[in-house]
Amino acid sequence: MNILTRLEQWKEQNKISPEQHAHLAGLSRREPFSVFLELNVLLYAGVLAFVAGLGWTVSTWSKQLGDVLVLTILSAILAACFWYCFSRVSAWSPAETSEPSPIFDYVLYLGSLIWSLELAYLENRFHLLSGRLDFDLLATAVLFFFLAYRFDNRFVLSLGLSSLAGWFGLTISRWSGPQDAAYRQYAILYCLLVGVAGAILQRRGVKPHFFGTYLNVVVNVLFWALLSGVFNREGYGLWFLALLIACAASLAWGLRRRQFAFVAYASVYGYVGVSSMFLRGVSDGTAVLGYFVVTGVAMLVLLVQIGRRFGRPA
Amino acid sequence: MRLYSASSEETLRARKLLTDWAGEGYLTKAQYQLLEQETVSELRTTNIFLRLVLFLFTVLIVGAAAGLFFVVFLSRPSEQTAGVFSLIFAAVCYAAAEVAVSQARLYRYGIEEALAVCSVGFLCAGMQIALFSGSPYSAKTDAAQSLVPAAGAVFSLWIWRRFGFTYAFFAAMIFVPFLPGYWTFSHSAQHLIVAVFYATGLAGVAAVRARHRSDYLEEDYSLVEAMLWLGIYLAINLQLSSLSLLSFNLPVQWWRVTRATSEFARPFYWGTWVLIWCLPPIVLARGFRQKDRFVIAVGAIAAILTLVCNKPYLGWPRHTWDPILLGILLTAVAIFIRRWLAHHPGGIRHGFTAARLSGKDKHWMNVGSNVVGLVSPQSITPEPQTSNPGVHFGGGHSGGGGASSDF
Repeated sequence: MNILTRLEQWKEQNKISPEQHAHLAGLSRREPFSVFLELNVLLYAGVLAFVAGLGWTVSTWSKQLGDVLVLTILSAILAACFWYCFSRVSAWSPAETSEPSPIFDYVLYLGSLIWSLELAYLENRFHLLSGRLDFDLLATAVLFFFLAYRFDNRFVLSLGLSSLAGWFGLTISRWSGPQDAAYRQYAILYCLLVGVAGAILQRRGVKPHFFGTYLNVVVNVLFWALLSGVFNREGYGLWFLALLIACAASLAWGLRRRQFAFVAYASVYGYVGVSSMFLRGVSDGTAVLGYFVVTGVAMLVLLVQIGRRFGRPA
Repeated sequence: MRLYSASSEETLRARKLLTDWAGEGYLTKAQYQLLEQETVSELRTTNIFLRLVLFLFTVLIVGAAAGLFFVVFLSRPSEQTAGVFSLIFAAVCYAAAEVAVSQARLYRYGIEEALAVCSVGFLCAGMQIALFSGSPYSAKTDAAQSLVPAAGAVFSLWIWRRFGFTYAFFAAMIFVPFLPGYWTFSHSAQHLIVAVFYATGLAGVAAVRARHRSDYLEEDYSLVEAMLWLGIYLAINLQLSSLSLLSFNLPVQWWRVTRATSEFARPFYWGTWVLIWCLPPIVLARGFRQKDRFVIAVGAIAAILTLVCNKPYLGWPRHTWDPILLGILLTAVAIFIRRWLAHHPGGIRHGFTAARLSGKDKHWMNVGSNVVGLVSPQSITPEPQTSNPGVHFGGGHSGGGGASSDF
């Protein structure tokens, strides 16, 4: 019995109205057929291709074109993008809002990328910040966060999060001393900052739908940082303990909120960390393979049980 | 032939559609709860994240178990012995996948999928080791060696038919380009053979899928047809297939590569140039006529690739502003189609609309925006041309759009 037969049956049993039947049967037969997704992908690809070409052209021909022309063109595009966005946006609301026009998100995305391009050009040609590129990134991150919250745009929020991560990375690279340890500590600081900010904003009801993006970024960065500590030759005990705590928290969050991505993160990152501890110094191939068989089966059983208990019935 | 009954799969499909419709507000909560009870299937499914993790751990267990067997029971086995045992492992994995479905009723659960995938891997490895390891290199083609990719392709096709894993069909398609290399040294003939294989598959799929309009197999056949169209396009586009897919600097290499026309016979070379212009409109027309999302997507991809490959085909130099023109074209086409559709009453023209009708579209948009936003924009910027070595661009840090890069 295919879906059309089912709908017919449900209509006869008065479980759905004739209007609902007509609408749902039409959707099942793809009448009308929505090209919403295709058009959005086309717009996104168009913006990316345009910015890539612009960046390439500017970098190749900047001397021939001259700084004035390059900056005029970039500034004109930037101004046009931001004028379009600010002139069409409705009053700010802390709740999720829909975009004022179908191309709005892409114009904002284009403006954000052009901003980065122009800033890079200015810095590299005129050294306005005396080579302190980290300030560029910080300013860019701040602008992107502002734009993301003003225009309710996840594209730009993700750009802001990665720019902030870049700023942390660049700042640390200027420090002397063991870089790995510094990177790890600042990755955790980044997680704390972003995680706490995301949680506070969600609690206060400021674009609470952004919280998922924050959480996914934070969890992945945190697990990478903790794992790199576990892989240390010395002083890995605390990192291992922190990894276990993070896994437990991720698992609990995933199960409680029915967000199984976090269960998956806890399983994979946790397994890698625990395995590296157990197999530390073990060189016997049989023992290593035996370990993977036994623990793999244990993980499989555990995950199936979790899936049965917390998953949806089919 | 298929392990799952049609009614079970139809029920699962109906359940998914109900969830989507309820999410869009086409059904009330009470209606959804009532109808949901009528779409309970005996099949055991899971969500995508657990499915991936279960797949990963099953592959780990199977690989480790096979390794353990060789270490414990077969110290320094001969190649033939190792090959035979690999074939036995293939049989065991396949049997386990069948049992997982028939007894435990697993459906896209990760475990049965990993077992089936491992069985293909063991089969190919076993055949290669048992039959052809240690074969002396020969300047002549050895048709017998094509047995391994042929077996891989046939077994993958069987798994696709039996379990319904669409990626098994994709695996079968991947095996096909390895076949003609064992039969002929002629590059033209190799391209032609691959295209003919895909075209034959396409004819078969097109004939079969007409019987499955509006049923649970429709999406499966749609995806398979789209993959075959893409396969044919890639086989005939000599500029694309000349690339080494394992190159680390693929985008830049791709941008600069120009295939010498002398490598192929002139009629063949220019014949493929004509075909890469003919194929995208044909695919797009079929996709729009069938209202087939995947085929339309492949038609669009093929059209973009044709625009990108046209200059190297003709031997014309590329310019740094070509991507700008491409970007303007893509954006203009998207805006034009949207407006053209929206200006008709109800926003529907010829059965098409630019409005969002499914919650899945929004979900994919959100996932996509999160993922692509995190990808560093500088990664899409090709390296500068050497004509201006004093100026270089790149090395930006993530998310800054190259804000930290240097000229």
